[in-house]
Amino acid sequence: MQRSITRRLRQSTVYFFLLVAAVAFLTPVAWLLVTSLKKEVEYISWPVRFLPAVPQWANYRLAVTMGNFARYATNSAILSTAYTSLVVISSALAGFGFARHHAPGRDALFMMVLAMLMVPGMVTVIPQFMLFAQLHLTNTYWPWVLWGLSGSPFHIFLFRQFFSAIPKELEDAAEVDGCGRFRIFWQIFLPNSGPALAASAILAFNWVWGDYIYPKMFLTGANTTLAVQLVSAYADPKGNPLVTVTMAAVVLYTLPLVVLFFVAQKHIIQGIVTTGLK
Amino acid sequence: MTAVQLSGAGRRRGWRFRGRAWREAVSFYGFIAPWLIGFVLLSVVPLVFGLGISLTNYDGLNLDSVRFLGLQNYARALHDAEALFGISRTAVFTALYVPLALTFALFLAGLLNQDVRGRGAFRTLFYLPYVIPIGAAAWVWRLVADGNYGLLNALLHLLRPGTAVQWLANYATQVLVVFVVWTSVGGAMVILLAGLQGIPKELREAALIDGATPLRTFFAITVPLLTPVLFFQLVMNLIGALQTMVAPMLLIPQPMGFNVLPPQDNRLYMTFVYFEIFTKARFGYGTALLWILFLLVLALTLVVFATSRFWVHYEVE
Repeated sequence: MQRSITRRLRQSTVYFFLLVAAVAFLTPVAWLLVTSLKKEVEYISWPVRFLPAVPQWANYRLAVTMGNFARYATNSAILSTAYTSLVVISSALAGFGFARHHAPGRDALFMMVLAMLMVPGMVTVIPQFMLFAQLHLTNTYWPWVLWGLSGSPFHIFLFRQFFSAIPKELEDAAEVDGCGRFRIFWQIFLPNSGPALAASAILAFNWVWGDYIYPKMFLTGANTTLAVQLVSAYADPKGNPLVTVTMAAVVLYTLPLVVLFFVAQKHIIQGIVTTGLK
Repeated sequence: MTAVQLSGAGRRRGWRFRGRAWREAVSFYGFIAPWLIGFVLLSVVPLVFGLGISLTNYDGLNLDSVRFLGLQNYARALHDAEALFGISRTAVFTALYVPLALTFALFLAGLLNQDVRGRGAFRTLFYLPYVIPIGAAAWVWRLVADGNYGLLNALLHLLRPGTAVQWLANYATQVLVVFVVWTSVGGAMVILLAGLQGIPKELREAALIDGATPLRTFFAITVPLLTPVLFFQLVMNLIGALQTMVAPMLLIPQPMGFNVLPPQDNRLYMTFVYFEIFTKARFGYGTALLWILFLLVLALTLVVFATSRFWVHYEVE
């Protein structure tokens, strides 16, 4: 009897903390959604009004029509898709190389992959910026293509972990049948690595779509992405900021990632866990 | 080819073996070629180039009058009050952020590892901010912490009418820490949760049957077994915290636009370096500052690795 009471008490404490944390985590997001539905005069009234009198769905229409939303969204989509498709393929190739071959220098090179996970990004990116500027590659999408082509340490690590876990028999059988290494990779390993491919693709897409600093450094004007564009607020013709409309645009900008996350959260979390645990 | 055919059987076998190893090595380098070429051209070359630039007075335009300065840029950094201030603010930020983020992630993972209904839903919920891109997340917190129309002040007004706090200006570092914890804790949490679920239940149950309290079991059994995962998280969080650059640039009280310096307290080292390079075009000095960060991060990582044998429990295989 006493045991069940302490058990109950413990359960309620756990739920209590979970609920408090959930409210704390979600409130800022809720505040964003609420603000995106206010009239601008409601937003700038004091004392603060928590909810809009009438939800202003028109803010969302304005968010798309006022600025050049479609243009920057297209830029973001092109950049994200191009980088993602390239980085997944080249990282899978390298991951397969590291996981499934013995060769002189392999372990030292894999240490390099791991070391690059720890080198502060800006230490290489800022000199890259200077070099790309000399080659007139800034304000083009070439940097993302080159980054994609050369794979990413994080994704290589992910694929290497995944491919290492595939039974050797599968490979041996194919080898006996006379399959070349590339065919083994392309026709046996890749089709069997759906979860790793999904995790890698989604994380890569999220990274570029959500990235602010690289497009800010490398791109200007009409070539830049939604992330950079939305950092400054929309303004009405007189130059007054329109925070509520901007927030509607911010919601629209974030939505694809949230939807992607809900559709494929199992894969994303598996990918994060694979690279974080082993 | 003919040589192989002319030689004896044993010799031929040796050749075949070498052929196989050779083929495997060729195949290996073929598969990693895209990465390897990229690694040389996009990592090694820029690193060396940056190191070279850091020894000059390069400012982006003076290619014909570049002078070799030796270690002058590095010496200058040691006397640059702004750089040193940036290091001290980064130290404060890191000392607040890393323990808070790890404790909080472990706390949430520990809660979710209990027998709770709706574990998946809670996990999704805590992970959600991690998916929100930094530009959008910065807007969220600028709205919440706004000095005039922010949620924090609105709630404060309910408790004590008439008070309004300029959070983004006067509590800049605190807001920054909360912001970065909010956006990052989900990632660490799912990893720690997976680590917790990998610990055999029997161990905890045995301790509980022996009369240990759940809290004691957690700290005496669960946490030690989790130290390898915690260690990896600690290293990655430390490295991330030391190079924090964008969050302070976005979390400013003024309207966001181009090149607005964050409030004094949030001028972290990398933020300062960014402005040196991109608004003052001090490429030579800036790359020296980058290399100083690189060395500091490396040194700190090595120190953390050296301490690991005192507190990280690796299973003996």
